[in-house]
Amino acid sequence: MNLKKTIETTLLWIALIMFGIWTLFPFFMAVVTSLKKLADSYTPTFLPYLQFKPSFDAWTVIWGEEYQMLSKALINSIVVGSVSSLIVLVLGCLAGYSLSRFVFEKWKNKDIATWILSLRMMPPAVILIPIFLMMRTLTLLDTWRSLILAHILFNLPLAVWLAMDFFNELPKEIEESALIDGCSLWGAFIRITLPLSSSGLVAIYILSFIFSWGEFLFAVSLTYNRAVTFPVQITSLFLSTEGLQFPRVSALILVAIIPPMMLAIPLAKYLIRGLTFGAVKG
Amino acid sequence: MLERAKSKSLVKWYFILPAIIFFIIMIIFPMIWALRLSFFNWHAILGPKMNFIGLGNFYDILKDERFWEDLAFTLFYVGMVVIIELFLGLGLASLLNRKFRFRNFFRIIYLLPMTAPPIAVAALWRMFLQPDLGVINKLLVAVGLPLVKWTTDPGIARISLVIVDVWQWTPFMLLALLAALQSMPQEIYDAAVVDGASSGQTFLHITLPLLSPIITTLILLRAIDAFKLFEYTYGITGGGPAGRTESLSYYIYLRGLSYFDMGYASALSWVFLLIVLGICLFVLKIMRREMR
Repeated sequence: MNLKKTIETTLLWIALIMFGIWTLFPFFMAVVTSLKKLADSYTPTFLPYLQFKPSFDAWTVIWGEEYQMLSKALINSIVVGSVSSLIVLVLGCLAGYSLSRFVFEKWKNKDIATWILSLRMMPPAVILIPIFLMMRTLTLLDTWRSLILAHILFNLPLAVWLAMDFFNELPKEIEESALIDGCSLWGAFIRITLPLSSSGLVAIYILSFIFSWGEFLFAVSLTYNRAVTFPVQITSLFLSTEGLQFPRVSALILVAIIPPMMLAIPLAKYLIRGLTFGAVKG
Repeated sequence: MLERAKSKSLVKWYFILPAIIFFIIMIIFPMIWALRLSFFNWHAILGPKMNFIGLGNFYDILKDERFWEDLAFTLFYVGMVVIIELFLGLGLASLLNRKFRFRNFFRIIYLLPMTAPPIAVAALWRMFLQPDLGVINKLLVAVGLPLVKWTTDPGIARISLVIVDVWQWTPFMLLALLAALQSMPQEIYDAAVVDGASSGQTFLHITLPLLSPIITTLILLRAIDAFKLFEYTYGITGGGPAGRTESLSYYIYLRGLSYFDMGYASALSWVFLLIVLGICLFVLKIMRREMR
């Protein structure tokens, strides 16, 4: 019995560590490569100081010569992400509240919710062409507005579902007693329901920001110059011949990866819940 | 309150209409527009002239070898990633489903790939998989193994994309299944132990049946997401070599926004939508039958 337990524990740790290395290696490699000189970046060395002399060349280049171009793209990403997520949050809460608290008779709540979910399931490439043409007709191509609209569309179904899920967890009785005390429906929503689910609302906002930050298909299709987001900006480097400048590419990748990562870690349990539309509570 | 809300039948619409109107303008309307476009021959680069050709585009799709190859690759890719990720995730989740030190630490570590933008992941792996200079081949050489043409051999390039997807999304399966396992009632397991069930039996006859609804959901979610494959193709292989890693999304993007063949791209979009829809319904049906 004891032997069996020891074997099990060993197995567990081997699996944990192997999978951990497999998961972390690419990130580790990006950090290490970004600290190499170009010439060192083509040798498989991993330990700064021991195996190669670290250098901040790559970081000085992206912080120096390329700063203007990159900061523009970063600002675009941040503006599009924060504005679209705010609208997503507002629309998502309203719709989620309505599906959670009211009864729709003609179309059942469940049908409406499923319909909204199916919009998220649909491959975005399906509506790419008409959205592009629509934005072109409205002369919105290469503006923040076109991308904000596209990202709302991309994130809203998820927000509705999560909001509905969060509101379902709140006991209805609190709102009911507020209504009895003469509070209006709207007042109860603003003053009671929203504050009580504030952590869920923050999660919706941040998840939506993370997805907007990483969204690529619409970003690459609807913008080409002024409004390009950071992920699109870096493709023009790594897909060109300069893509072989591994230290610079690595540094850029890290700039693209770190913000969503930092935002996601505190939200660990909401991330799974969000990605499974509340099917798994995480 | 619900009764009051019912009587105020207008109020509930105020809450939900903004979202619904948005969806109609931004999704339903574009889809109808795409359907209309798909009956026309329109090369946007030559000007606004559109020729009505009826079902011509759809007929061309049937004969379009590139479409069938892309469809075959996309299906291959979806099948591979879903199966590999499911089994890896299930194995690891059942291994991790116990108390041990640093469990939360490992959970956070495993979470990290999912948080990275797919295009950044593509850029990362493009560097690693680079046949001459990439770190993976350098390591293979260092230990005396032959070089692998990760992105230049048609067959291997497909596997490369699968590997990248497995790296980024196995953690999703793992963490979701782990969460599902942890929400299971402990009493059932206690009862099984009392009845003398081995851990293998418990897993096969108790855990799996209880998990099956969630596994269905996860397979569907993962499959639908994998169908959207675009960034890895765009960032790692550019569709090559010889178009062997081109996904349907990528083909639509090229056809519409690179060749500006709007009518054909719209027709492709609808075909793509119907395929995804059909496969979803099919998978759901099979799963339902299996569960009974």
